[in-house]
Amino acid sequence: MNEPFPFRQVFEGKWTQGAIPLVLLVALLLIIEIAAPGFLTGETVSLLFANTAVLFILATGVTFAILLGGIDLSIQAVASLASVILAQLLPSLGLAAFPLAILSGLAFGTLSGIVHVKLRVPSFVATLATGGVVTGLALWVSDGRAITIEEAGRENTAWINASVAGLPVVVLISAVIGIAAFLAQRYTRFGRQAIAVGAGEPAAWAAGINVDRTKIIAFAASGMLAAVAGVVLAARLSSGSPVLANQLLLPAIAAVIVGGTAITGGLGGVARTAVGALIISIVRIGMTFVGVNIFLENMVFGAVLIAAVAITIDRSKIAVIK
Amino acid sequence: MTIHTEPLKSVSDIERTTLMTLILRRIATLFGGRRWRSLAPLAVLIVLCVLIAIANPNFIELRNLVRLANSAAVPLTLAMGLTFIILMGSIDLSVEGTLSVSAMVVVLLAANDANGNDYGWWAVLAAVVAGTAMGFISGLVQTMLRIPSFMATLGMWFIGLGLSVYMLGGSAIRLNDASIRDLALHRFLGLPVAVWVAFAAFLLAAVIQYHTKLGRHILAIGGDEDVAKLSGVNVVRVRITAFALAGFFFGISGVLAAAQLGQSHAVIGDGRLFAAVTAVVVGGTALTGGEGGVVNTLIGVLIVTVLANGMILLGISPYIQQTVQGLMIIAAVALSLDRVRLRIVK
Repeated sequence: MNEPFPFRQVFEGKWTQGAIPLVLLVALLLIIEIAAPGFLTGETVSLLFANTAVLFILATGVTFAILLGGIDLSIQAVASLASVILAQLLPSLGLAAFPLAILSGLAFGTLSGIVHVKLRVPSFVATLATGGVVTGLALWVSDGRAITIEEAGRENTAWINASVAGLPVVVLISAVIGIAAFLAQRYTRFGRQAIAVGAGEPAAWAAGINVDRTKIIAFAASGMLAAVAGVVLAARLSSGSPVLANQLLLPAIAAVIVGGTAITGGLGGVARTAVGALIISIVRIGMTFVGVNIFLENMVFGAVLIAAVAITIDRSKIAVIK
Repeated sequence: MTIHTEPLKSVSDIERTTLMTLILRRIATLFGGRRWRSLAPLAVLIVLCVLIAIANPNFIELRNLVRLANSAAVPLTLAMGLTFIILMGSIDLSVEGTLSVSAMVVVLLAANDANGNDYGWWAVLAAVVAGTAMGFISGLVQTMLRIPSFMATLGMWFIGLGLSVYMLGGSAIRLNDASIRDLALHRFLGLPVAVWVAFAAFLLAAVIQYHTKLGRHILAIGGDEDVAKLSGVNVVRVRITAFALAGFFFGISGVLAAAQLGQSHAVIGDGRLFAAVTAVVVGGTALTGGEGGVVNTLIGVLIVTVLANGMILLGISPYIQQTVQGLMIIAAVALSLDRVRLRIVK
């Protein structure tokens, strides 16, 4: 009461929690600009966006699961399966391989949702299990090998690696997905209900929201976007593999949390995830720049994840922390 | 992550009963109460063994049984540690990270082809200590920062993985110490020493669970943390000790894995978390905590190993194993969850 300035209150305010990641992003950009003048030119920035695209698409999907207070640990497996399906089917089906690969993600996302909701299995176990199911299938389909997209198939993936009006197509794809997800979360019934469920499931349920349907849609969206990310990744690397996206699970979840979406649900959104994904990307570039060994990246992201969870979590929502 | 809320209990019980849960409840009553449910994993194991033996008699050959025991050694030791965590109602996702750290430590400190170290069995000790330290840190992070264990250990998973890959320089390093390699190569009474080590780990875990205060307290916390706290259990200390204990078992399995492979590399832990969780859950330890134990897990490990072995004998692609394990997790959790206690599933 007698504090000259209520630091604590300001820090705990919702708007400050939303602003912290943005401030961090700007600060990181400034540090890099000072350390290496000329970083903030059009070319490097568009390269930065292009390298963030896959991470952002993955993180956007998992944002919906986390907003509900759940988690999706199957995204890397779904993305890898999509890459395998794309690489496998491109030679015979051509462009039709794209929707098929993406549909596989939708199917397995829906499966995760149904297992989680209808069988009442906690989401981290349900998605761990479906992730295993999907990884097994991907290994089986690809015979445990990486499949190179040959010259013939590459004709059909060339458009993803092209540029339109100076902007790489991957950036445009992720921008379209980001805007669509942002609008879906802000202005559709599903989006509003997802936040309500995350904020307080008993209240949302009592208010007449179809909680089960909302959850299944969220996991389906997460699976579908993971597959889109897998397809884009496969097209960029000209290869599909059952372990292609394994290294992306942690950065994707870290991007969501660092962006300011609380693991307890109900707070956050796609816009914050965009900021979080950029922070993760810049930290990655910064580490290479400073000379941190590439193998240590995972250590840094693991520590960042723990710190971000500890800051954003809403402990009043969990009676017992298990 | 489960949340217990009271106010809406009566409403949610009546109206949220979907067709699926109704069917599941019917199946559960069909199998009788708790007594039958606890025998179900053993029945599954026996049926599985009989079916595979009929399909391919090679299954019960002595050579195959030894192979079976050998491939169960690492999963059994891992699952012993994980059982204590799941008994508390928590989860440890750092299995692969801790295992790879321990394997890295033992390979780098014992005779190897990358540096001049040759500390012999001190390397094994250091590896187990490293594993215990990883678990201890997980416990500290979870209790001191007060974040859910699946998030704390997700972070620790990648911290461990990053550390070990960094120390190995991204390549595979061979283990040249003959006495440590003997863990896998030397046989005692017909079985590799690694199997005996795993069996000793099982006995140790059983003693801890059934005959020590720590084991009792872990069960009490899993049963109901608030009640345990009110009864005077030092919840924070028990939680940290349990995570350190789990790390100890992961450390031992890291040594066994390095001895079996004769090397350590970036992907030494791949798929281990999944197999361990499957084993614990299929054995009948409830994810909600407080129910099950290390004996259940022994049966769970045998189910997972027998199934994997049987699939190879029947000529089914080994790649599909994870798919089968995933379906087993879903089935086991769905059938065993004590839904009366769960109001909200997150």
